[in-house]
Amino acid sequence: MQGYVLAGLVLGSIYAISALGLVLTYSSSRIVNFAHGSTAYAVAVFYHWLNHEQGWSIVPAAIVALLVFSPILGLVLWAVVFRRLTHTAPAIRFLATVGLWVALPAAVRLVFPFSQGEIFQPQGLVKVPVDIFHLHGLDVSINGNQVAVLAGAAAVVVGLSVLLRATPAGLATRATVDSPRTAALSGVNTTLVSAGSWMIGTVFAGLAGILLAPILGLSDVEFTLLLVASLAAAVVGRLTSLTLTFAGAMLIGLVQGVAVDVLPSHGILATGFRPSVPFIVMLVCLVAYQGLSRERFEVDLRAGPVEAEVLAAPVAHGWRAALGPLAAAVALFSVPFWLNSFWVGVVSQGVALGVLFLTFTIVTGEGGMLSLGQATLAGVGGFVAAALATHSTIFGATIDNPFSSSSGWPLGLAILAGAVVAVPVGLLVASLSLRLGDVYLALATLAFALLVEQLVFARPEFDNFGAGVSVNRPIFLGIDFNDRTAFFLLLAGVFCVVALLTVNLRRATSGLVLASMRSSASAASTIGVSVVRSKLFAFGVSSFVAGLGGALFAVTIGRAAPTSFNVLVGIVWLAIVVTWGIRSVVGALIAGILFAVVPQLFNEYLPSSWHDVPTLLFGLGAIGMARQPRGAVFDVAQGLRRLRARAAAPAASEDPVPS
Amino acid sequence: MSDALLSAEAISMRFGGVVALDEVDLHVGPSSITGLVGPNGAGKTTLFGILSGLTRPRGGRVVFDGADITAASPQRRARLGLARTFQRLELFSELTVRDHLVVARRVRERRDRTFLRDLIGIGSRPSPGEDDAIDALLDLLGLGSVADRVAARIPLGTGRIVELARALATEPRLVLLDEPTSGLDAHETEHVADALRTACEDRGVAFVLVEHDVELVLRLCEDVTVLDFGRVIAHGPPAAIRASADVQAAYLGAAPAGQDVP
Repeated sequence: MQGYVLAGLVLGSIYAISALGLVLTYSSSRIVNFAHGSTAYAVAVFYHWLNHEQGWSIVPAAIVALLVFSPILGLVLWAVVFRRLTHTAPAIRFLATVGLWVALPAAVRLVFPFSQGEIFQPQGLVKVPVDIFHLHGLDVSINGNQVAVLAGAAAVVVGLSVLLRATPAGLATRATVDSPRTAALSGVNTTLVSAGSWMIGTVFAGLAGILLAPILGLSDVEFTLLLVASLAAAVVGRLTSLTLTFAGAMLIGLVQGVAVDVLPSHGILATGFRPSVPFIVMLVCLVAYQGLSRERFEVDLRAGPVEAEVLAAPVAHGWRAALGPLAAAVALFSVPFWLNSFWVGVVSQGVALGVLFLTFTIVTGEGGMLSLGQATLAGVGGFVAAALATHSTIFGATIDNPFSSSSGWPLGLAILAGAVVAVPVGLLVASLSLRLGDVYLALATLAFALLVEQLVFARPEFDNFGAGVSVNRPIFLGIDFNDRTAFFLLLAGVFCVVALLTVNLRRATSGLVLASMRSSASAASTIGVSVVRSKLFAFGVSSFVAGLGGALFAVTIGRAAPTSFNVLVGIVWLAIVVTWGIRSVVGALIAGILFAVVPQLFNEYLPSSWHDVPTLLFGLGAIGMARQPRGAVFDVAQGLRRLRARAAAPAASEDPVPS
Repeated sequence: MSDALLSAEAISMRFGGVVALDEVDLHVGPSSITGLVGPNGAGKTTLFGILSGLTRPRGGRVVFDGADITAASPQRRARLGLARTFQRLELFSELTVRDHLVVARRVRERRDRTFLRDLIGIGSRPSPGEDDAIDALLDLLGLGSVADRVAARIPLGTGRIVELARALATEPRLVLLDEPTSGLDAHETEHVADALRTACEDRGVAFVLVEHDVELVLRLCEDVTVLDFGRVIAHGPPAAIRASADVQAAYLGAAPAGQDVP
């Protein structure tokens, strides 16, 4: 038992170091840094590269990684990304940090390459083989890595307390956290404070990363779990209280540690319980904080000047508005006639993803909500459709095909069932967190997505040793959809229908209502809009589209597999959709096709060491949100209109961009 | 006052240790214009938040048209006919001025609940009489020339008038106006004052007006309440308010009534 408590304390300490960095940066700039786990990963990879690939010994490598590389990384990220975000709309802040989350790991792996075989137990801050000490009084063994973690946590807590309570810089920081404007007026250099807190926050992230690596490995998934645990701890502290955050982190670590002792050692609970702890803690907090007066949260969320919403749709007026989409549709349907069969197959995947990506257009573009769980909802659709179509069973229960006695459901019906099942799942997680505001929905959907990924998708019946659930293409109305052209045209048709429905929704009363809520929820409610109800509706529709797209994607690649729908893939999806325009249905299609085609192009024509480049590009695109929030499709449309206006009337002084 | 359209009774509110409102009463008759004035920090905006449902009071109750709405949500109040404008503009920045009125009117008609029909139907169809009603409202407030401009691109003064138009488009019985003329020039102010009188007389709308421009309030309102440090210090017709020593003390910092001024 003592051993498990110790393991829990160690985990909790790592979470605490990371979470304190998260709260520090949030306090000084009102940005929830979803790239915090990626920052930790970046520093850990750099340290590992110095220590293992370059042969530096532990002390100089640690000093350079933590005291030189981390602060510089923090400063650069602050200067290039975060500094510009404080005064933008919440959605843009969120999407830009998601872009960084995607881009940063890809970038460090490109710059500091390391052999993948080393990622499971890299050397930490103590020498391998690790010393083991036996504490006789407590009857417990502690190893060197664990000692390093506890010492690191103690150093961070003491250092931070001294810094904040006993130095002029700490006073300035506390003043800035309380009220940036008042602090600025009384002579505090808030820019300096903000830059400083990002540097310190990055050092904390880096320390957590270096300490985590020898214990849990240098893998993307572990660092995402670190991020989610830190976020959950920060939610305990309502994103602002350092003390409560520390307590929350320790609690999460302890529960996870002790659970190993209490739970069965095999089966889904053994692997799935750990990731579900942050979600449960977050859930309890979200429910408990509902009872607090709303203003406590309004202060958190609306502090700092918030610019007018700028996620405008690329809207033109009259018949010209239809030209661009029409051209895109013609180009889409012509694809099978000028590409060879292999590439038609690749583009098919892209079109299926295009359908799936419309979920982002609806939930974030129209609904103004920040969700990180859409990939999981797509997975729900994909698995339900594949399981029903192939063997009519889900969770061990057989659901008979209602129309015939053959073994599987007809595929069309199975796909529809997948889409329908995704709706209540989406509504459940949205209804728990919507009331509290934008950031909390993002946090809850992220934690929920990880929970489902580890607890449901990892079940043998779905995972099947990584192979997933296979699903065959249908023969329908006498057409064999195993033919690539026929299937491609089917997908293109489905995309056009869903895209038209999306545009239809935008133009109807519901679109006006959603647009009014995006700009001002309080004003919308005082004209009689039920904000929660309208948002739930949009979330429900987006869940349906996610489920539909996920099912179509599974049919396209022939199987529903956990790797297709994991959280990190979903983050990359979001980043690329944002790049091409979160409000544009054409943008969703382009994003889907690029996501399928670009990695394949790299695979075919470039060396394998370049395989991180597409991800890096997708992430950088989303970071570009801070510059052009409307996305690339708008950029291009605007450019075309300028050209046309110049060609038509060289002296025209009128602004050619309809707003 | 049993014939009041809106009654706030013994409203109290505190933030931390600060008493923002202390047992404040406010009564508004139907089709009337009531003024609410007081120095900065007197609690006017807090009281508006409580009346419109964005803030829950610590004590007291709010009655609208005979029903206790103290715990009602903002959207329920809006549906009962209680609208408001905001001191710090809360416009729908992507929507045109006309669409502000369209969305307000359609929500009033409960058409914000027709999601599924919107999804499958073709575009947005105006309900019968919608265009006429909105044109009339645009005319009343002189917004015809900017009707198709996006809210993000209209000047502050026009924005205040759009807020008023949006509130009126919900066909309210009472509108809470939070500093509707701040940032407006004299001409625009006069325009707003005329529009309020017209809406009050022709449409039977009642208004509660929070204003820094005390002269405007005394000219426009038949009944005025003065707040200072969260308390009602005076209440009555404009003439009485003008004469009140307490009010002069609150605004000018002179000695309270009853004391000799050397």
